[in-house]
Amino acid sequence: MASTSKKIKPKIKPSRKLGPNIDVDESWAKLTSYIREIQHHNAHKLSFEVCYRLGYQLVVSKQGPMLYNGVGDLVVENLNRLAEEFVLPTFPSGLEQDPMQQSQEGERLLKALHKVWRDHTDCMDKLSHILKYMDRVYVKSANVLEVVELGRDLFVKHIIRPPIKDHIINAILNLLHIERDGYVINRSAITNCVDALLQLSDSPDGTTVYKRYLEPDILRQSDTYYRAEAEKLLETCDTPEYLRRVQTRFSEEESRAHQYLSLQTSAPIQAILQKTLLIPHLQTLADMPNSGLDIMIDNDKLDDLSRLYQLYSLVPEGMPCLRRSLKDSIQKRGEELNSVSMEERELGDGGAEDELDPSAKGKAKAKARPPNSGAQGLALALRWVEDVLHLKDKFDRVWGVSFKNNRDIESGLNEAFESFINPHPRASEFISLYIDENLKKGLKGKTDAEVEVILDKTITLFRFITEKDVFERYYKAHLAKRLLLNRSVSDDAERGMLAKLKIECGFQFTVKLEGMFHDMKLSADAMQAYREHLGKTTDIGPEVDINVTVMTSTFWPMSYAPVPCTLPPLLVKASRSFEQFYLSRHSGRKLTWQPSLGNADVRVAFKARKHDLNVSSFALVILLLFEDLGGGEFLTYEEIKSATAIPDSELQRNLQSLACAKFKVLKKHPPGRDVNPDDSFSFSADFSSPLQKIKISTVAARVESGEERKETQDRVEEERRYQTDASIVRIMKDRKHMTHNDLVNEATRQLASRFLPNPLNIKKRIEALIEREYLERCEDRKSYNYLASHTSFYYGTADI
Amino acid sequence: MSSQQQQGDDWIRITSKDGFSFVVKRNVALRSGTLRNMLDEHNFAEAVQKVCPVDERAAVTEKFVEYLAYKASYENANPNEEIPDFGERIAPEIALELCV
Repeated sequence: MASTSKKIKPKIKPSRKLGPNIDVDESWAKLTSYIREIQHHNAHKLSFEVCYRLGYQLVVSKQGPMLYNGVGDLVVENLNRLAEEFVLPTFPSGLEQDPMQQSQEGERLLKALHKVWRDHTDCMDKLSHILKYMDRVYVKSANVLEVVELGRDLFVKHIIRPPIKDHIINAILNLLHIERDGYVINRSAITNCVDALLQLSDSPDGTTVYKRYLEPDILRQSDTYYRAEAEKLLETCDTPEYLRRVQTRFSEEESRAHQYLSLQTSAPIQAILQKTLLIPHLQTLADMPNSGLDIMIDNDKLDDLSRLYQLYSLVPEGMPCLRRSLKDSIQKRGEELNSVSMEERELGDGGAEDELDPSAKGKAKAKARPPNSGAQGLALALRWVEDVLHLKDKFDRVWGVSFKNNRDIESGLNEAFESFINPHPRASEFISLYIDENLKKGLKGKTDAEVEVILDKTITLFRFITEKDVFERYYKAHLAKRLLLNRSVSDDAERGMLAKLKIECGFQFTVKLEGMFHDMKLSADAMQAYREHLGKTTDIGPEVDINVTVMTSTFWPMSYAPVPCTLPPLLVKASRSFEQFYLSRHSGRKLTWQPSLGNADVRVAFKARKHDLNVSSFALVILLLFEDLGGGEFLTYEEIKSATAIPDSELQRNLQSLACAKFKVLKKHPPGRDVNPDDSFSFSADFSSPLQKIKISTVAARVESGEERKETQDRVEEERRYQTDASIVRIMKDRKHMTHNDLVNEATRQLASRFLPNPLNIKKRIEALIEREYLERCEDRKSYNYLASHTSFYYGTADI
Repeated sequence: MSSQQQQGDDWIRITSKDGFSFVVKRNVALRSGTLRNMLDEHNFAEAVQKVCPVDERAAVTEKFVEYLAYKASYENANPNEEIPDFGERIAPEIALELCV
């Protein structure tokens, strides 16, 4: 209620005092002079009330149009005056070449423009205040622009026009260019100017002058500028430097847009930067010789790599490119490792084959090599794995630090590792060997945490292997050796490894491995019981102390036929005794002796002193042959062979380790490094060694020789056939009817966790199953039906 | 513009047409739209001198100023606070003039 009284007051008052019939001309003349005063910054001499009343009176006395147009004319007049006075004198001469001078000229122009703009807006503000009544009453009814709008409009028409407009734009572009070249300019001049332009608009749809005239020019100029810049940088800089520069450019432009261009320009400018500096050169940069991605990784330039990642992640093309380059890089390194390992392997293999093939030519050449070819091969395998691990570490670090753990990159890395590890024909074997070596020796004196780290690392490699079944086979073999020879350092570590494998591949994968552990434990129990048994019934106790490990044949990788060996009576007696004991406790079981896997401690009296020798079972058998012989007597190879019935390859190996290795317990005639069928042997009574206990390890074929490998391959193949069969039948049992493609896909999917099945092989297996009438082909020749009758029988044959 | 001015803590003189002046705080004066226009930052004479002429006689101007003070003190009052009716304070003699 009270507020109405306050508002109405000024309206009503004058009408009462002056009445409607005031002198229009006189009022207008007065107002004109007042407005001029305002335009000359003399507002403080005027009374607002008076001015307001004049405007009010003119509007009330229906002089709106006259007032409006009059004000417009006055504004135009003032604008022209301002332009004349301030802007025109500052037009750049265009003669200056020095960037500093140019920049100053531009700055002067922009400052002048800004001054004009500020004066103008100031004036218009005041006018709009005075003429508020006109705005409220006349402007609305006449549907024309409000005073402030009118002011802007007139400003555009009379100031932002050629040639002033062109000069302004040129000045701004010039300043931009100068700053990009690294000189300092007065940013605030541009800011003010741009602000003004941002508020102005000369088109009906409200696009600002900035957007319409200035921005396109800026973008165009930036585009050419940076295109040239990219060319120049590519020629003069290496990759890290280029990236550094580009990054600086990005942040510069960002701050430029923030500080004195409009924010709306920021995005297009960044896009231009990406388009000119990054996208066309992504590959070139990554591949740059002497400084590209490869070199950066080589030199651990983590900072540069982070920068690379940041920049590449800006553009959509960046990630794939980076990923590709990384992959190439890894592949190249991996293949190098592979080829190094293969080359030396071939040398080693050559030696090994020479050894097997006793042709005269090969012998001479191979002489130096064969004894250590096994060790060499092992070292090679270990080195390969270590190199791969090292490589992986390196890339992981780069990935973690520089690439911010990007998932995409990670999968690229993994792919790359897979792509070079899998083609290596013996990756599985080597990795398993590496684990073997670590669990055997490497872990001694290391803390649990370190063990964990090593195992974890190996597991990551394991993950890359597609043929997991091959790995399993090797691992099993190595584990068996470790367990039987009691070489494993720590039970915990073994179990830890198993647990990890279990996590990776599931229960199926490790069930047999765990069975092996279980067997070891059972055997220990059984031995204890056996000892007690012997204690009770001393009559048939054997003279040798034996320790038997009972192995479940399906768990242990020794399912092949036992190596024949004629045991000396002493051992036969001992084994019989245990056999009796064992079978009495577990009826229905069959014990098969595997002397090839055992070892023995034997005390031998040499001339100098007695030594405790630890030898393999075979070596023991051979040594026992010499027990009964006199000092200088010989046994020929053939004699030994017929006495022991040990097959040639084993016999040679054992004889070699006894007669040709570091500890020459036997003498070979003629002496030499290789064992030949026409050699003969005698006991070396002169043998002496500072050590009391001597371990004579069989010359080991630790890394498989060619033949063994082939055998392993065959076994793997066979197992795969069973698994494929089983998988197909399982699927068909479930679905009853399936098309060929679906079946192949499904089988592939199921088998992929163990190895990478070949569709062709699956097809073969399907055919084999059809032959055996597990499946039948449907009429359409493209799908199969399951024949239920075979189920139970089938499970008997191939349950993995 | 000084910080004092922004806070509305400085004094403004309001003059009636018969020569009386009333000194009020700026934020009281700003309660009136007209006075606010006069005192705005456009540096007209009123704003510079901090004097605002009101074209009324002293009695009316006084009531007007009183109303401004009343408005200033209760404008931001708590809704449940009791606000006295200003109408009771208007003497009948000046009611008409105040209205117009």
